[in-house]
Amino acid sequence: MFVISCPYCGARDQSEFSYGGEAHIARPEWREDMSDAEWADFVFMRSNPKGVLAERWVHSAGCRRFFNMLRNTATDEILAVYKIGETAPQVQAKLPATPCGEAPIGSGNDAVKVMQPGEAE
Amino acid sequence: MAENAKKPSEGLEPSEGLTPPERRTPLALRQSVEGAPGTLRLAETPFAGKFILRLDPARGGEAFREAAGLDLPAAPLMSVVNGERVVFWLGPDEFLLLVPEAEAAAFAEGVEKGLAGEHHQLVDVSDYYTAIEISGRKAREALMKLTTLDLHPRGFPVGCVAGSNFARAQGWLWLEHGEEETARFRLYVRWSMADYLWCVLADAGREWGVPEQIPAADETFLTESVHSKKA
Repeated sequence: MFVISCPYCGARDQSEFSYGGEAHIARPEWREDMSDAEWADFVFMRSNPKGVLAERWVHSAGCRRFFNMLRNTATDEILAVYKIGETAPQVQAKLPATPCGEAPIGSGNDAVKVMQPGEAE
Repeated sequence: MAENAKKPSEGLEPSEGLTPPERRTPLALRQSVEGAPGTLRLAETPFAGKFILRLDPARGGEAFREAAGLDLPAAPLMSVVNGERVVFWLGPDEFLLLVPEAEAAAFAEGVEKGLAGEHHQLVDVSDYYTAIEISGRKAREALMKLTTLDLHPRGFPVGCVAGSNFARAQGWLWLEHGEEETARFRLYVRWSMADYLWCVLADAGREWGVPEQIPAADETFLTESVHSKKA
């Protein structure tokens, strides 16, 4: 069981909350020449990092308000909670050292690994 | 308590002048139950006027106080009581207003008039919810079996109101009195969940002698004893 701190109600059990997907994804402004790829990028593409992820949560059994949360997806550590409309605070997350020396981003399977820009071979 | 007199008993036609059957409460067929004296007592508090108010308290709080005769809660998770009128904090801009049924219509009209210039919404939810009153010195302990809320007096003082899951049903819990012997909680739940929660609460009180309550729809969520009785 996790305890999540609702910015309005304080610390409550995880069972009172619902997940709302990745935060800070703005709907693109509609244009005549918008391509399917652009739209698909908004609808489907998520950053899915192994590390700090900004995500939306809703306190569905309590005050029923949405809020944002920075969570370390590798350790489930909750790093920060902030209200909708606020910018994400800068946080330091300790990523766990993986025993096999896996990459911090990706599946760890080098055969299917997608190289990130700036990531050394 | 007096409210039982208002409820039509099972199998009896309500006589003229009594509550008409279409205004029957969700727990109309339940009599209040009690365990060993002073431990745990369950009763329904039916027929209160209930309104959900959406209003920015910073902008409309003053107008609300003039119209309704009581303040909006200043702190989250708190309530304000003035006589029989109560305001619950449900969210940063959402409140539940409780008034006696007789003055509900006039109250709503007054609030609407007072808030005419403010951006707000007032919805009558009187028949959406009912309240289960849980009192006695074991009330806290019985409720702890149902919810993950921290019900310690330090975390849940008198006047506190919190929305949470109670045996998986969503509701608002309000602590009206906090003293050991006179502890009195009220659990505001949806009409359709009331009978289920009543039976779960009675089940939670079995260890203090609260009689077993069989769900109206004859669901089989209760403990062994029910099933063995049926077999």
